[in-house]
Order: sequence, then structure tokens, then C-alpha cells
Amino acid sequence: MRVFVLAILFAPLIMAQPDIEGVYQSISDKITLPGGLKNAGSPASIELRLGTTRASSKDPWKMCQPVGPFRMMAAERTKIELAPVETMIVMLFEDLSHGMMRPIYLKRGHPAKLEPTWLGDSVGRWEAETLVVDTIGFNDQTWLNDAGAQHSDALRLVERIRPVLGGQYLEYKVTAEDPKALAKPYTYTRYYKKLDSEIMDDVCQDGE
Amino acid sequence: METPVRVLHSLGIVLLLGSACGFAQHPDWTGYYTLATGRELAGTGFKQDSPGEQLNNLIIPRLQPWAKARMEATDGIADDTGQVCLPDGIFRYPSMAGRFLWLQERDRIIMAFQSINTAGVRRIFLNSSHPKDPIPSWNGHSVGRWERDTLLVDTIGFNDKSWLFGGMEPHTEEAHLIERMRGVGNGAFLEINITVEDRHALTSAYTYNRYYKRQPATAEMAEDVCNEDPETWKQYRDAALKKEVQRSHEVK
Repeated sequence: MRVFVLAILFAPLIMAQPDIEGVYQSISDKITLPGGLKNAGSPASIELRLGTTRASSKDPWKMCQPVGPFRMMAAERTKIELAPVETMIVMLFEDLSHGMMRPIYLKRGHPAKLEPTWLGDSVGRWEAETLVVDTIGFNDQTWLNDAGAQHSDALRLVERIRPVLGGQYLEYKVTAEDPKALAKPYTYTRYYKKLDSEIMDDVCQDGE
Repeated sequence: METPVRVLHSLGIVLLLGSACGFAQHPDWTGYYTLATGRELAGTGFKQDSPGEQLNNLIIPRLQPWAKARMEATDGIADDTGQVCLPDGIFRYPSMAGRFLWLQERDRIIMAFQSINTAGVRRIFLNSSHPKDPIPSWNGHSVGRWERDTLLVDTIGFNDKSWLFGGMEPHTEEAHLIERMRGVGNGAFLEINITVEDRHALTSAYTYNRYYKRQPATAEMAEDVCNEDPETWKQYRDAALKKEVQRSHEVK
């Protein structure tokens, strides 16, 4: 009986996932965190299978359109808020026009039939202290980098997100796979600092 | 050895009971909501006050003369920020077509609207107070506190760019939104009783109710990108900018 009560009492502590609720902002590539942690890779280095890029005048960023998570999360000073609830973790961007809002569903897999969308369909699961997010179902409207690297509707993103340095930072590692558009999968890493400040209105005015 | 275990045992039972009874004390309304239709509300005893465009009839008679003149001079298309995928404030979308995620966190509640480019995201900070001089924003600064099972939300700090509703009714930075939110119909609906005050734009405050239907746990809010067609967006945006420049010349 005692063991049973203790088990119930401490079960939430044993099974608890890390608390990642809060506001975070990507740090500069120039910063090195304790333990030598620093940003690595850049979407600019991505190798395309066909080498095709789109004209800069069609840049979704300049049109106040969503730019897709792969490009958005790599940008310096990107500010996000993570709002976990039982069935999902919602990632909200301060720059709503470009980043929008990403629901990451925790209690289901990808639907068998997916209507392509700007942000795709994201499902997540916890692997110890790491949130692993798998996203497919993108349309082909966003770019992978500022130079206009195209992707196809076969793009798949696998993101690994975990708190580091006592929860003061998030480590964000993403791999993009797209057998139709990319010569090989590409991975970059960014660190996001936890902030005390709140997210403000950030309105897209002609692409700024 | 027995005593500490007994104490722990008793403490465990107390904690378990406390947890079961809800130490959290407050209801958790996390979920996906849509503005309740007449059919959904039929037989519940609840109904939307001044539904749809009828809400204008509640607001327009209360406009001060300058505000009425401003409303009449407003171009419903060229002056509508929502037409160019800019925010159009907190007063319109939630009352007319509200679809939102209610995300209840430790110290805040997030209302993320489906029409994210125009209605955006609201954050209601719990057990907190307004900053002394809030930076004017589209959705203002909201604080909330629980009064039993009702959440009382107070919002100030609006900019003066949005309209009170689709009739193009202006408001000032003095606009004050007071909301009483509670779950009704055994949790099937969220009732929001809304009062809007603005001593510089209105002759008196107005109050109305809105009901939102809680959707099944399997229902998901779809992605909604305002600016799907950049060419049309550019045309509208250019027209709006031209008008803005024209106005700034007139002011000078």
C-alpha cells in the first residue's frame, strides 16, 4: 500500500517532461554558450538537386507571407512562444505574418491524406528530454533560404528541441529532407535564449 | 521508522485528495472553439445578443458626433486594414466569426485566432496588473483574475486604428474592454459577456454576450493564411499606402 501511494505521488515527477513553456529568442551566430554550444550550419549552404532558385521579387518574406519553419527558425532574433497543453504544443511567432502559429500534435500521427499547407502537419513525441517533431504536408510556396532555394511537396522536417543549460536556452536542431529537391538532407542548429519579456505586436509592413 | 512513513502516507492521501478535488481550483477551458450558431444554441436557453451585423445597431447610436462623422467618412474597403492582411483589432473577428484555440498556461491564457494575420493572438495575464503606460497595440493589454468559476478580464492599451465592428465605428486609445468569461451548458460553451467603454468615442458603454462552442478533442483549427494571393494583396496594399500618403499631405 505504501509503495503504491509513493508511486502515485512521485509518478508525475518521474514521468514529467521538461517544462519548455515560455518565450525564447534565437541568438547570434557570434555567441558561444558555456560548454562550447553555438549555432551551426545555415540554410544558405543547402545543396539543391536541380540547383533551381526563385526570383527575389517572389520572396514570400517581401510579400508578408509565411516563410516556413526551416527558414524562420534559422533567422537571427526570431522570437517564439511555446505554449504546451495536453494534446499539443503550440509554437507562436512574434513575427506572426512570416512565422504564423504552429500546432505540434502530441497524441496523433500524420493523417493518411494531407492537404498541403504553408506550415505542414507537425506531430511531436518526447524522447527523454527532447521533443522530436516530424513535419510533412508542405505546399511548395516557401523557400528554404534567403537565396530562393525551392523545395517540393515532399519536404520533411525533423526537429529536435531540448532545454539546455538549466532551461535557460533551447537547443533547436532541424534536418530537412526532400528527395525531389535536395541533393542530400541538411541539418542546422540554433540556440534560443529564454526571455522574461513578453511577445509584442509585430506587423509585417511591406516585407520588413 | 514507522512514524515518517505514516506521515508521508497521510501527506500522500491529502495530496491525492487535493489533486482530485482540484488544487488548481479553476476550470481549464483549453480547446478549440467556434462562434456558436443559432442551431447549436437551440434549446440551451442561451442566445447571441445582437448577432452578426446587428451589433452595429448597438454601437452606432452610442457614437459621439466626431466618431459618427469619422465613421461616415471611412472607406469600408480602402480603410479596412484587414483587407491588406494587417491586424484589424480585437473587436471584430471574435464577435463576428470567432474561431480560436484557448490555451491555458500557468500564468496566462492564450487565445490564438484562426484568422491569425488579422485577429492575431491575445494573451491574458493572470494575477497581474497592467503596466503603467502600456504601448498602444491592436489587441491591447489584458489581465485576468478568477472569481470562482468566472474569469474576469480587463483590457486597455489599444491603439486607435481598429474599428469597434464592421460598421467602421472608430474608438480611441481610451477604449476599455471588460469581459466576464465562464463555461456554460456543462462545458459545451464558453460564454463571454463583453462590455466596451470609451469615454472619448462613446456616449455610454455597451454590453453583449457571445457564445463559443467547444469543439470535440479531435477537431483541429485549420491553417488560415490571409495573403494567399500576393498580386491582389499588392494592389490593395498600394491603394492603402497611396491613401495614407494623401492623408498625411492633407494634415500638413
